Amino acid sequence: MPQEPKLAPTLGELLQERGVSRRAFLKYASYLSAVMALPAGSATALAEGLANARRQSVIWLSFQECTGCTESLTRSFSPTLESLIFDLISLDYHHTLQAASGEAAEKAREAAMAENKGKYVVVVDGAVPTKDGGLYSTIAGVSNLDMLKATAKDALAVIAVGTCAAFGGIPKARPNPTGAAAIDEIITDKPIINIPGCPPIPEAMAGVVSYLVSFGKLPELDHLRRPKAFFGETIHDRCYRRPFYERGLFAEGFDDAGARQGWCLYKVGCKGPVTYNACATLKWNGGVSFPIQSGHGCLGCSEPDFWDQGGFYRPLSTNLREMGPALAGAALAGAALGAGAAWASRRHQESYQRDQSAAEGDKK
Amino acid sequence: MMTQTLHASIPQEPPRLTGMSDAVFAEVAARLAEVVAGASAPPIELTAMPLTSEDRADLEQRLGRGEVFATIESAGRSEVWETQFSGVWFVRHFGENDRTASECIEFGAAPAILFSHRADMAAAARRLATALQPANAHETTDH
Repeated sequence: MPQEPKLAPTLGELLQERGVSRRAFLKYASYLSAVMALPAGSATALAEGLANARRQSVIWLSFQECTGCTESLTRSFSPTLESLIFDLISLDYHHTLQAASGEAAEKAREAAMAENKGKYVVVVDGAVPTKDGGLYSTIAGVSNLDMLKATAKDALAVIAVGTCAAFGGIPKARPNPTGAAAIDEIITDKPIINIPGCPPIPEAMAGVVSYLVSFGKLPELDHLRRPKAFFGETIHDRCYRRPFYERGLFAEGFDDAGARQGWCLYKVGCKGPVTYNACATLKWNGGVSFPIQSGHGCLGCSEPDFWDQGGFYRPLSTNLREMGPALAGAALAGAALGAGAAWASRRHQESYQRDQSAAEGDKK
Repeated sequence: MMTQTLHASIPQEPPRLTGMSDAVFAEVAARLAEVVAGASAPPIELTAMPLTSEDRADLEQRLGRGEVFATIESAGRSEVWETQFSGVWFVRHFGENDRTASECIEFGAAPAILFSHRADMAAAARRLATALQPANAHETTDH
């Protein structure tokens, strides 16, 4: 009688062998529930889900990128709460982190794909050059374009981390000489989650992967496929300088009296009102600060085409006037009226995006 | 003079009480009343709430400290204490560099993280059984 194949140990069993108790799962789940704003009391279910899940095979593909996304996720090397993510996944292929190189590395990727067919998650950082058959970036003689298509074919889901993978990012900036494209422009038959940011917030990457492992489904996404838990509000919505915006108190330069008083950075180019991300709440470098708290406006790095918005230090209304009348109207209204401008900007941003989509549709 | 200028150019969150601690305190009272009436009450998650540091300090001061304080070492440090209101527990988990990663208020006889999980107890029972075997007991004595 043939023996049934032995199931891989659950995460609970695996970590128990290493002396990690279920308290660690509960603690990690509490932490993720908090940062993902999951319903109260869901930490216990999340912890049980994680403990009973198998280790998730992850194949990480790096294309036109700077390795900043990997740096962001791996900045924690001590055995802390944040680094538990590396116990939950089996990182079967990652150029920067894996020990194997050359043919051995590619064989590891192919083996992981075969062993976990239909179950592995593909994480991509970097855009994909598509011009001239994708010849502008190759790995082991294979174009990024072909490698992405081949690897995603049997994947459970694809996570595009960083603005380059999610929206094309800097490689796609004008004049886009390599024909760089976002992942969801190429892969259209798989569930895709975009976690933009330059780099993305590490908690967002860890949270999404953990949610997927624990509940076996995608978290709720917005119209740009971003998890609402991290991209549900604008930077402006949760900015501690917002009271100054509402009172019409703006810094006019980086060294004027307003800047010293911590006034709103809208007029020196802050893109917070139209940028959806969690920097203002989760912050960076272990919760130390985020750009606005350090005295610099938001660059809008988690939004499509942030590099081509007319200048990081030009006020939003100036850029928007060049982009389209709908959004410009909202931003100008915001400058004049103060309170309620963020809401208006969002409404008009959505309207602008609808107009853009319609325009693109017309081109086709 | 230079130091003062530099300090002034890094604006910090303005210190203030926003009234959020009053709202949370009222919610604590409502949830404990539910537990006393025999129902269960979900925890109040404080991490993502727009509380200023003054709001947090005010809430902590009003809840006070009760008879129990525990430290847990599991994937980093956690601190748990019963507030001066029996059945109201404050749970704070620390992350990298000892920063607060998450904190919540739980209700009931004890917060979930203090209980031993059945799976951990089963593993402990297996380890004890192994330790009781004569060969292993001898090894243990030798060490």
